[in-house]
Amino acid sequence: MADEPKVLERERPVVDEALLRANTDQNLPAVARRESVPDTLVPQARQQTGAVGQRVTRTDARQHGLGQTRYIDDLSLPRMLYARIKRAGIASARIKRIDTSAAEAMPGVMAVLVGSEIPVNSFGPMLQDQPVLADPIVRHAGDGVAAVAAVTEQIANEALEKIVVEYEPLPAVFDPVEAMRDDAHKVHAPASNIYISKVIRKGDVAKGFAKSDHVFEGRFSTQMVEHAPIEPHAAIADWDANGRLTVWATNGRITLARSDLARTLMLPLNRIRAIGTIVGGSFGGKNEISQEPVLALLSKKTGRPVKGVFTRTEEFIATTTRHPFVMEYKTGVTKDGRILARSVQLTLDGGAYCSWTETALGKACILAAGPYRIDNIHCEARAIYTNKTMAGAFRGFGAPQVCFAYESQMDDIAKALGIDPLEIRLRNVFAEGSPSPTGQVLHSVVVKESLLQAAARFGWEARS
Amino acid sequence: MKRRGRGIGCMWYPIGFTVTANPSSAVVKVNEDGTATVLTGTVETGQGSLTVLGQIAAETLGIAADDVHVVSADTDVTPMDMGAIASRTTYVTGNAIRLAAENAMAILFEVAGPMLQVKPSQLEARDRRIQVKGFPQRSVMIGEVANRAQVTLGQPPIGSASWNPPTVAMDPETGQGKPFNTYVYATQIAEVEVDDETGEVEIIRIVAAHDCGSPINPTLVEGQVEGGIAQGIGFALQEEILFDGKGLQINSNLTNYIMPTTLDLPEIVVDIVNSYDPTGPFGAKGVGEPSLVPTAAAILNAVHDAVGVRITSLPATSEKILTAIKAKRAADQKQISA
Amino acid sequence: MIDVTIVVNGETRRASVPPETTLLKLLRENFSLTGAKLGCDVGDCGACTVIVDGMAVNSCLMLAGQANGRSVTTIEGLATRDRLHPIQKAFEDNGALQCGFCGPGAIMATKALFDENSDPNVKDIRDALSGSLCRCTGYTKMIEAVQDAARILRAEAAAKPRQLELSK
Repeated sequence: MADEPKVLERERPVVDEALLRANTDQNLPAVARRESVPDTLVPQARQQTGAVGQRVTRTDARQHGLGQTRYIDDLSLPRMLYARIKRAGIASARIKRIDTSAAEAMPGVMAVLVGSEIPVNSFGPMLQDQPVLADPIVRHAGDGVAAVAAVTEQIANEALEKIVVEYEPLPAVFDPVEAMRDDAHKVHAPASNIYISKVIRKGDVAKGFAKSDHVFEGRFSTQMVEHAPIEPHAAIADWDANGRLTVWATNGRITLARSDLARTLMLPLNRIRAIGTIVGGSFGGKNEISQEPVLALLSKKTGRPVKGVFTRTEEFIATTTRHPFVMEYKTGVTKDGRILARSVQLTLDGGAYCSWTETALGKACILAAGPYRIDNIHCEARAIYTNKTMAGAFRGFGAPQVCFAYESQMDDIAKALGIDPLEIRLRNVFAEGSPSPTGQVLHSVVVKESLLQAAARFGWEARS
Repeated sequence: MKRRGRGIGCMWYPIGFTVTANPSSAVVKVNEDGTATVLTGTVETGQGSLTVLGQIAAETLGIAADDVHVVSADTDVTPMDMGAIASRTTYVTGNAIRLAAENAMAILFEVAGPMLQVKPSQLEARDRRIQVKGFPQRSVMIGEVANRAQVTLGQPPIGSASWNPPTVAMDPETGQGKPFNTYVYATQIAEVEVDDETGEVEIIRIVAAHDCGSPINPTLVEGQVEGGIAQGIGFALQEEILFDGKGLQINSNLTNYIMPTTLDLPEIVVDIVNSYDPTGPFGAKGVGEPSLVPTAAAILNAVHDAVGVRITSLPATSEKILTAIKAKRAADQKQISA
Repeated sequence: MIDVTIVVNGETRRASVPPETTLLKLLRENFSLTGAKLGCDVGDCGACTVIVDGMAVNSCLMLAGQANGRSVTTIEGLATRDRLHPIQKAFEDNGALQCGFCGPGAIMATKALFDENSDPNVKDIRDALSGSLCRCTGYTKMIEAVQDAARILRAEAAAKPRQLELSK
């Protein structure tokens, strides 16, 4: 009995003195001090408390400078194979026949895949209207139609040449205006080519125009642009012997990637691990899956990890782009340049698949009137399918396009009325508490401050 | 002859997804020596988000950026995140991390209270210490508290949280609603020189004043604006994917798809507009996309100012500009002789 | 298959590769030097830039066989165990890299510039980096970093003779 207290004492965890002792000279517990890196190389801002607002160096800057950052293409797994995807090369067609036998017979080719083998052959962040591999309809020249996995990239490239695809060409439509006609070829028949529309209405534009001293009209258009990150899309898929899939991918949204993989491959979510490494630039182009389900199935077939890296050509033809816009603006102003009414019509060329079009259309519609106090607004937007490279998320989601239009027109108005371009904007911009085109009360509004600050830095003087 | 012109581009841009739920979640673990590990489902795509998120966690915990390690982008390990898109990371993921850190902090305050003989609500975290508000001399090292919490008391200071920007659905007929919880504003002013014999545009300088709420890391904000402006220059003057009559791209390579190099960049001046958004982490909003939104507008307005022609389709190549200059000259001649 | 022997970062290395193998592929796959990147494979982006016999080269455009018997410096050869190269330090301090993918190529192009010109002006810098495409940074902080690095290297070069004198 007298022994019991000793036993109880021994049960308590032994506290390591070193952990408790804080080295007050360095303001850091001893354990946390970085001994191995010479002090001269550790940037000081990273050691300041009050971290917000500091110009701390990036955590990955050191590795970047040394060339030690590991991007997907720098990774390698034992027995890894290399995949390539055969691109249609025709904008609109039905696949009549695919013969992969010659490719499969090549030494070094371990597996071949076509669209019919994909459990759920459709994906998309909003509408699941895009096939993983086209089967049987090809809707743009960059559509993938078959894939191979081989022991070297060279062999995979050669194997693509040996895959024979017989196409029945279908009519195609490339111009959105043409695509809107009733008799135009339907890219996703039987659905209309006008696949999303939105309207924002506030006040009464007809009355607003009637009250205006001047009404200006303008038509503006923008082009299809490519993200062109220096790192191409890349992924490695490893379908292990337990039926668990690990995918390393240049993907900015791994939660979504995992659920898309679960859907296309018909796997439960807990059997999929999606890892996004440091991505070498995205700008919106790496926001959805592309080749990952293909690599996964090739890995499943071969029992080996499979890596796929897009060529630079594939970056252009087989990944998303920025929506070309056609924008019609009609703006009514007083003689002092106060905007009374603005009516906007936006037509988005969405390419072959929806991707992030709904987001781009919605944002463009909301932003189209500009950062200006306007009581009467009407904005109509629609997105059109065409047989071209699909448009999706690209830094700004429609905002750069509409800003080009509304700011160009603003200067046209300023010139016509003889008002300084800075002044006319100051007369119209949002203030704290202004209502937006959707009737939202805006907070933390500093558009006027940004105008004045930029003008001061620039040295903007009104011309007499 | 070379003619100079100046042009303004002014814009607004939202943070987060349009109406749709776009939560981020996070876990903050304070280690038993007072350093911390953050788990986030977001992905670093080059913008520096992991650095910024680390700073937010550090600020909340009262420690330094170097004391925080951020683990990201692994669905087996990190909690869900709607991703690096829509300029939402600093704002949405940042808020989730701040809340998770506060939850971890709550455990530490519960432990530190008795150590300092005050109520947990009287404590704050600063300079790697947990101290009594108003009486900083009464404090204890965060490492001591964390160690006591986990090792002695068996209460590891782990906090988790999620955050979703509140929105109101838009009316299907009128679009009225509250699609985003916050917006950013910016102005860029461009000065250009246009050669009226070739239509070539040289950008002399661009001044940018951007609102990003309170900047968590000014260097990274500048980097985003400078990078965005470069893309804006490409959008305005150079880049275009071209198709032939059969729908095949004809310039699907970096030789024939013209995009900005070091030779195309003007002097860029970046100013951060003084602003604080109470709904964002430590007042921050975002900057990833806004950076290129007004650039083309500013450049095209400057071209208009320089040579009096309004190019209404992008890209404003030198051919387009020269054609417009010649047309204007012809029209002006007609007017004079009329 | 062809045999190649190359001195890479001061070390003699050998490999036996198919004749169409590029120097880039040789470095990345045979020698595990993954710093040089594959961005386009046709010499448009500069992400594969290395220094061959003192000249900056797009390694995707050079065949492994053409590099046989030559001396190659890659990003992995710049820093020593004790310190970063001033170019790397300047890039880090100035926030000159974001996603970092173009970094090794831009840094090697800078090294090649300094080997030829220790006091480059902004135009020289822009010209030297004009083949290094970057989509993230807009080049501004990169150019500032190069200017910083040039200053540091010139200061170090100027300090050396004095140090020798003191030690006498």
